[in-house]
Amino acid sequence: MSDEKKLPYDAVTGKDLPPRETPGYYPGFSTMNQAGYWDDATRTTVKKRLHEVPPIRFFSAAEASLLEAMLARLVPQDDRTADRRIPILPWIDQRLFRNELSGFRYENMPPDQEAYRLGLTAVASMAEQRFSKPFGDLTVHQQELLLKSIHDGEPEPSHDAWDRMDVDRWWAMVLEDAVSAYYAHPWAWDEVGFGGPAYPRGYMRLENGLPEPWEVDEQRYEWNAPVDSLSGDTDAALPPHHGGSHGHGGTH
Amino acid sequence: MSFLPLGGAFKKPKAGKHYLGPMQTLPGPMRTFDPKETVDYAVIGVGSAGGVLLQRLARAGFKVVGLEAGPFWDTERDWVSDEKGSRELYWNDLRITGGTHPLALGANNSGKGVGGGSVHWASFTPRFHPSDFEVYTRDGVGVDWPLSYWDLKPWYELLEREMPVAGPAWFPWGDPHGHPYGPHPMGAVGDVLIKGATKLGIRTVAGGPVAILSASHGDRPHCIYRGFCIQGCKVGAKASTLITHVPDALMHGAEIRPHAMASRVVVKDGRVTGVEYFDREGQPQFLSARAVLVCGYAIETPRLLLNSACPGHERGLSNSSGTLGQYLMAQAGNVIAGRFDELIRMYKAPPAHALTEEFYETDPKRNFARGFAIQTVGPLPIAFAKQMMAAKGVWGWGLRKVMMDYNHWSALGVLGEILPWQDNRVELADDKDRYGLPVAKVTFNLHENDLRLIEFGKQKTMDVMRAAGATEVIQESRFAHLVGAARMGASSRDSVCDKFGRSWDIPNLFICDGSVMPTQGSANPGLTIQALAARTATYLIEQGDAIFTSTARPMNEPAIRYDQSPPFTKFKGNPRIA
Repeated sequence: MSDEKKLPYDAVTGKDLPPRETPGYYPGFSTMNQAGYWDDATRTTVKKRLHEVPPIRFFSAAEASLLEAMLARLVPQDDRTADRRIPILPWIDQRLFRNELSGFRYENMPPDQEAYRLGLTAVASMAEQRFSKPFGDLTVHQQELLLKSIHDGEPEPSHDAWDRMDVDRWWAMVLEDAVSAYYAHPWAWDEVGFGGPAYPRGYMRLENGLPEPWEVDEQRYEWNAPVDSLSGDTDAALPPHHGGSHGHGGTH
Repeated sequence: MSFLPLGGAFKKPKAGKHYLGPMQTLPGPMRTFDPKETVDYAVIGVGSAGGVLLQRLARAGFKVVGLEAGPFWDTERDWVSDEKGSRELYWNDLRITGGTHPLALGANNSGKGVGGGSVHWASFTPRFHPSDFEVYTRDGVGVDWPLSYWDLKPWYELLEREMPVAGPAWFPWGDPHGHPYGPHPMGAVGDVLIKGATKLGIRTVAGGPVAILSASHGDRPHCIYRGFCIQGCKVGAKASTLITHVPDALMHGAEIRPHAMASRVVVKDGRVTGVEYFDREGQPQFLSARAVLVCGYAIETPRLLLNSACPGHERGLSNSSGTLGQYLMAQAGNVIAGRFDELIRMYKAPPAHALTEEFYETDPKRNFARGFAIQTVGPLPIAFAKQMMAAKGVWGWGLRKVMMDYNHWSALGVLGEILPWQDNRVELADDKDRYGLPVAKVTFNLHENDLRLIEFGKQKTMDVMRAAGATEVIQESRFAHLVGAARMGASSRDSVCDKFGRSWDIPNLFICDGSVMPTQGSANPGLTIQALAARTATYLIEQGDAIFTSTARPMNEPAIRYDQSPPFTKFKGNPRIA
């Protein structure tokens, strides 16, 4: 694994971007610095998320370490300093432990808990079959080869778990859970320039992408995913049935 | 951490007060009926319709109890300006979903708690068009309503004041009308819609119509444009029955039992006698009532009626036609996202603030019946990440990179009319909930007309996005809203209830929520649900005790009443165009 490039690199200079506290185009912006302007309930909720990461209660140690390795590829955080990586696994574990559903289950899917276990079993055995190593010991590239085959809906090698549940639905569930944990975190809000909670103060500069007096304007830099990464594509074409698989209250 | 204290709502909520918005508190101790007492009306589900019914029936002096499966929200303590922290607003319990185009449920379309879906709606409040009530007559598709637009119009006008609705002085589509409160300032997403549409010669309206206050109103402050509408409006600016109608209901002696999960409507000798439910502790209870109003929305209403099957009603209550659970509808809700070189910051301003209904009506030049609207939406980071996953297939570094451009994206929603089809339905699944009750199984299939309409609407909206200057335009297929599955009709042979929601089979059983809609147009259903509820309430009040004793079914429209509205709303806010 020594020669692997795991860091994204500067698109102009070609040099690795060193890990930072807050990657992204809004240097110095911190939603938590605004927490004094939030209402009590919101501040408590967000601070708890920051400081009270739940213990692992649903997954076995082996399952947890496999999923942790997977999540490191689904939402890579190598560009973040070690102390500023956003926990994802504990929140998925908590959801399954508490049986927090999204309000529905597809008729061609087992219950979420069973689906997670089944899928992890499949990933573990696919790693052994294809590379004769546990998933966690594979190179990043090998891990991504396996994951990309699941993403593409054509798991390679095949595994009978995928006859028992829809591979696209499984992929969507795991990745949705992962992004739900990542982008719920104030450090991720800082990264994407989301102003965060704004009650009772509100927003006043509504048009033309203008920042509030307490927000930071964008300072872009061009960067690319690590050279050997298979997940760097910003438009990975998908089969049409991938649409609308989730229940977020995002729209109308 | 240092910050400048601004006072006002920065104060902690006062102990012993239950807040409905920052300024309004729960009025006094709530009346509680003796558990053994027979009340006049049991209202199952205190949401968009249930809240309005409860309020009017209490005001008219009836003994009325609302059973609500979820909590009685204290908006200052329970609600947060946070996507993840708002999950409890939704009906997250298990349902099974399938068909050719399975619907995502939960956060997408179902509320739980006092106020129901009106707590998390984006609160676009367009009226249905006159044509919506006669699509079969006009286009030979779907079915006609057993009432006309003109029957409902006075109730639209009334509810637009009771919420109240902010919007343009002139809404040009359907039956043109104005709005009682002035339009909101524009956000960047609305600017995109207006810019793109204008380039293509498409009319738009801006700043509404939305049930969000553009100026303060009674004890509710105006909008602060924080963008968390669908996470529950802590500001108290967005209308939900929790803050618009429930306080008045309690003031007039209604009781609401939160955490009360109805399990069965009980029938004896051809009439309902009350409701079995599980209380907060999971104990079975019985609420004896002279009439029952089922207001559980398009999934829980048919589920409850199916679960209430009993001798004489083996297929479920009010199901002699066999149509209970059938003709479920969702609207096409494709989200079109466009990336702009300039910054947008779409998290600011209410997600709902501009729309066009230029494509709402059937156009013989197109190859499908009916149409669609284009509306602003404003996904926050988690919702947007899921959309990017679905629309672009991104993961890993690609996902992180796209998300760093969050502030460069704008999103518009197609709101497309999907016709009522018999095979789109709610049934009972084998799975059981925590009370041992069979959960709902929802089947949803798109048909040829729907597919053509969605394709056209999607392309048109992408055209608008490109015309506005987007350099990359993508789309995600999804659905919005739920109506139907206990439809009203002119005949007991092919519908569940009459035009007032009264069961064809059981004279003191009513259904009043989105599930009664025979078709759905391409307007968001919230305003229509509340207008129908106000009309049914006035019908019940007009009929008086006859509802409890008689089998007569008078079909004359109730006379509009202006004395049944909550305070601060009567004749407040005058639409410029009546």
